[in-house]
Amino acid sequence: MAYPVSLKKLVDVLCRFPGIGQKTAQRLAFYLLGCSREDVIAIARAMVEAKDRLTFCVICGSLAEAESCSYCSDPGRDQSLLCVVQEPRDVLVLERTGQYRGLYHVLHGALSPLDGIGPEELKLDQLVRRVEDKNVGEVIVATNPNVEGDATAAYIAMLLKPLASRVTRIAFGLPVGGDIEYADDLTLSRSLEGRREI
Amino acid sequence: MFYIDNLLIKGFRNYRQQQLQFHPHLNILIGDNAQGKTNLLESIYYLSVTRSFRTNHDQELTHWEEQSLYLKGTFIKNGFNHVVQISYLQNGRFKLTINNDPVNRYDHLQQFPVVVFSPDDLQIVREGPSIRRRFINLEASRLSPKYFKELRAYQRVLLQRNHLLKDKQNRRQINVLLEPWDQSLIALGSNIIRYRVEVISDLEKEAQLFFNLMTNSRETLSLSYLSTVNYCDDLLEIPKNFHSALMTKRDQEFNRGSTAIGPHLDDFKILINGYDARRFSSQGQKRTAALALKMAEVYLFKRQNHEGPIILLDDVFSEFDINRKIHLLDFLRDNSGQCFISTAVDLNNLIESLNREHKIFSIRQGCASDEIVRSSS
Ligand SMILES: [Zn+2]
Repeated sequence: MAYPVSLKKLVDVLCRFPGIGQKTAQRLAFYLLGCSREDVIAIARAMVEAKDRLTFCVICGSLAEAESCSYCSDPGRDQSLLCVVQEPRDVLVLERTGQYRGLYHVLHGALSPLDGIGPEELKLDQLVRRVEDKNVGEVIVATNPNVEGDATAAYIAMLLKPLASRVTRIAFGLPVGGDIEYADDLTLSRSLEGRREI
Repeated sequence: MFYIDNLLIKGFRNYRQQQLQFHPHLNILIGDNAQGKTNLLESIYYLSVTRSFRTNHDQELTHWEEQSLYLKGTFIKNGFNHVVQISYLQNGRFKLTINNDPVNRYDHLQQFPVVVFSPDDLQIVREGPSIRRRFINLEASRLSPKYFKELRAYQRVLLQRNHLLKDKQNRRQINVLLEPWDQSLIALGSNIIRYRVEVISDLEKEAQLFFNLMTNSRETLSLSYLSTVNYCDDLLEIPKNFHSALMTKRDQEFNRGSTAIGPHLDDFKILINGYDARRFSSQGQKRTAALALKMAEVYLFKRQNHEGPIILLDDVFSEFDINRKIHLLDFLRDNSGQCFISTAVDLNNLIESLNREHKIFSIRQGCASDEIVRSSS
């Protein structure tokens, strides 16, 4: 099938999204063609705006639109509770449960010697300083329930045990080998309630 | 009743395309060497275990003129049809479905148990530790999905940990960096050892019974697990001893750049009349011991699933004397489900003595033709 050049270009671009194959890309392209010009501009603008305005919070590493994120700058949140996650998207998953009212710390990865990722790459000294300075009572480690996530949790526990009064881990209840991203809200709430000391 | 009812083979070894309809009890494959008898058994095994009993390289399984292999077979279990489809493309893409639903390998591994006995199994008794580790890992994985998951995780931890041990740059803080990996290695490794000890002890009991039967109780067979972690019969001591053993080997680990303690280096000993069978036994004793291990496996699957597994016997009847053949057939009648027997020699007298309805497949150059043989009574 011979595509008009601009349609082919659009489909190729959409194909670069994760999980989008040729067929879905075509469907999305035709959806866009059916939209009004204003709507298409609004969609494109939303993408550019998100890209321009979103950065990572200097305190916790979550997605933020200012220097610090909405969680870190919310005085209503429990300042003595800190949840450590691997990726910014994990914060959104935990927020969706509505169960957690503490602060976050995003590592942007997990320990993996094979990939050259050690404590320095994860900026773990930042986490240590934060726990030291801010009088954190409990640190919940919510890294992924796989080999790398477990090792990261163990390493963090080793660093923080002398500093925080409680270091706990949530992992069980989540699908083994799965990311926290794929856990449904109910299992996550249960995991939070049933967190164990490490 | 559990059996494989039919099988479509495409592009597998020397089979270009073959549709087969099996007998629920007994199937005899007859043909000269290198015509495709073992390949047919291998395809049934592959459908159940998703790997071959002859090679670790799926690539070798594809027909030399094809880019891919495809198997579609129907297992009957508890009266339900389970259509298993496996495709493997030359670029390494592997797809497995049951009744058109995609499934992953570890959920599949326990579903449709198949036990094979082939002349290569002699290696379990005769060769080095890695062959026995492969045997015990596969058997334990097929009995316990948890074991399989933990084994995979353990292998990943090993890879990560060995990478750290090879790293010369972080030497100053290496003990701190190793700590979390040591914890995982010990936790997973201890579980693996404990489960293996359990499986070996179960296998030993059943293998002993079978060995007695085959040797008219003139000889004894025993198994003992050999671990790099010393635990003196107290399985609860394993994590503690694992840890202290790691500490004493640390310098050696840095020098070699690899992990020196753990189930990845363990072995188990096979003893005939109290002597290490690897060194002090005849060819015939070794073969009987290997068969006893496999038939013990049959029994463990039967205990777990309340139904005998499918059994594949690849060209083994010619190797045993008449008494052992009869004992083996008796055992199979009592414990196995469906049976596949391949042979290059005439088994007529033996099969006739069974007096059971069966199907005979004549195999020539990757083609099979079948005929049904009714029992005389
Ligand atoms: Zn923040």
